[in-house]
Amino acid sequence: MGYFERALVAAIIIGAGTGFVGALVVLRRRTFFAQALTHGTYPGAVAAAAIGVSVPLGAAAASVVLVGVMAGIARIRRQGAQVAAGIVLTGGFAAGAILQSLIPGLPVQAESLLVGSILTVTDGDILLAASIALVAVVTVAVFGKEIAFSTFDQPGFRAAGYREWPIELLVLALTAATVVSALPAVGAILAIALIAAPAAAARLVVPTYRGILLTAPLIGAASGVIGVIASRGLAVAAGPSIALAATGFFVMALVISKVRGLAWKRVPIPVETAEDARTA
Amino acid sequence: MAWRSNSTSTRWWYQGTKATDADIGICDPGVGEWGPMTLVDALFGAFALPFMARALIVMLVLAVVAGVVGVLVNLRGLEFISDGLTHAVFPGLAIGLAVGGTAGLVPGAAVAALAAAVVLTWLDRAGITSDAAIAIVLTAMFSVGVIVVSRGDEYASELEALLFGRVLTIPPESVVPLILVCLVAVVAVVVTMKQQLLRAFDRSGSRAVGDSALVLDLVLNAAVALVVVAAASTVGTLLVLALLIVPGAVARLMTERLWWLFPAAAGFAALMAWLGLALGFAGSVAGGVDLPAGSTIVAAFVAGYGIVLLGRWIADRRLATKAGVPQPAGTAAR
Repeated sequence: MGYFERALVAAIIIGAGTGFVGALVVLRRRTFFAQALTHGTYPGAVAAAAIGVSVPLGAAAASVVLVGVMAGIARIRRQGAQVAAGIVLTGGFAAGAILQSLIPGLPVQAESLLVGSILTVTDGDILLAASIALVAVVTVAVFGKEIAFSTFDQPGFRAAGYREWPIELLVLALTAATVVSALPAVGAILAIALIAAPAAAARLVVPTYRGILLTAPLIGAASGVIGVIASRGLAVAAGPSIALAATGFFVMALVISKVRGLAWKRVPIPVETAEDARTA
Repeated sequence: MAWRSNSTSTRWWYQGTKATDADIGICDPGVGEWGPMTLVDALFGAFALPFMARALIVMLVLAVVAGVVGVLVNLRGLEFISDGLTHAVFPGLAIGLAVGGTAGLVPGAAVAALAAAVVLTWLDRAGITSDAAIAIVLTAMFSVGVIVVSRGDEYASELEALLFGRVLTIPPESVVPLILVCLVAVVAVVVTMKQQLLRAFDRSGSRAVGDSALVLDLVLNAAVALVVVAAASTVGTLLVLALLIVPGAVARLMTERLWWLFPAAAGFAALMAWLGLALGFAGSVAGGVDLPAGSTIVAAFVAGYGIVLLGRWIADRRLATKAGVPQPAGTAAR
């Protein structure tokens, strides 16, 4: 298998996995949180490479810690969630850059962590992405009913006697794992496009929960393949072209849903006259 | 350690500038050797070097302006729009660099930022605030920028410079444009200050006295955009947000008086910019590591925020225990 075929396989697997988990993220309105997670992976990845631990593990741990700090700051008086996010994210990037300069000869490249380099993925990366996607599918198959309940009717979910945090934690963990698995393809800055765009596009054209969970992975995989092929054809970086392909699907879905919403057939407006009302 | 002999780690300061040996020699303290770096050397002596002095001037102006604009960003809750502007400026920077070299950075970014300010103002007014949609649009803009950079020859180093800035290699001829951009931003905000504050605290009151919400939003977003432009070509696009958000947040922690917010934010920003630059210099010269100055500045900002946050938390705790009542739940929220 050549590097290009391997990149295509990686694009399909990573795109499908992020699309699937992205559907949960978008439906549960956790896009902003997912974005914070993606940005938090950068210092974690650098630190993990520095101390010799596995990079995906470090990235996941750091992103979870940063989100914890963010939640803490957001609770303090006169400091909102937006302030917390901005401070934690820029602080994370600065910490990552400083760490990288402090430790010369790191095996990781800044730009490949930030915008991805799918042409250099290893079999290990692909295996990791595939197993995370598999875990996500199994989790949703087992707990799908509870997840859907808590997503669409939170008060009802609570009233029915369920606790919220296990589901929230489950989805958060899935999101973090998926973000980490997407890093080789699109990097820390662009990962949010691969998570949010396929799901947002699917949501615009497909009306059902199950339909979105099925369509979003397809769109994600398609964006990956189109992005990699376009990157080779036009000689541009692969990560951004994957992100742009996903955005293209979102724009297409937006146009389709708007066009569908137009009144194509002339329907007579029912007018009830006083006579009709009296005889009815 | 002789800082000039350590040329492998210091050469990158001069990339892009036309500094020559004579240029450096002028300010060389005569001996040609910097002994072990003292605190005074790092905090004051370092800025005798022309490129450090340029960096300090630009960063001080930028910090004060960002502090003033940042308070309004904080009061209005415009952090996301600012984040959007930083992403939107990136393709402008990339295209400007591709077309006109380093001289094209500021014009390219300015065009992109002002266009983005108009679009974001419009999106905000049209009520399109779905975070998924905004995230998608912004990453798309960012992707365009990365693609433009990736068409060039020195992809990796160019990208890193755009993302993390080149504060120490500001060419002498772009100091004046950067300061001008900052001045325009601060004048725009100061002229409309009273109306901006009224709009921040009382939306309907502001409309009732006849202020145009559209004009006020446009002016503020354009001012933020200009600060982003100036900051993006110095500390880099990823770190701009810290300059805008942290001083405002710190000021909110330090004081409850409205007019004290502005000097508090500007003073904090200026102090931290100075400390950050000195830290970057000390690390690079005495420590012998290439600390990126943009990152050390932002690290200083975040560390300062952490200290103020801790102080505030302790003060609040004391106040609560002195009063003998546990804090009511409602005060935890903003």
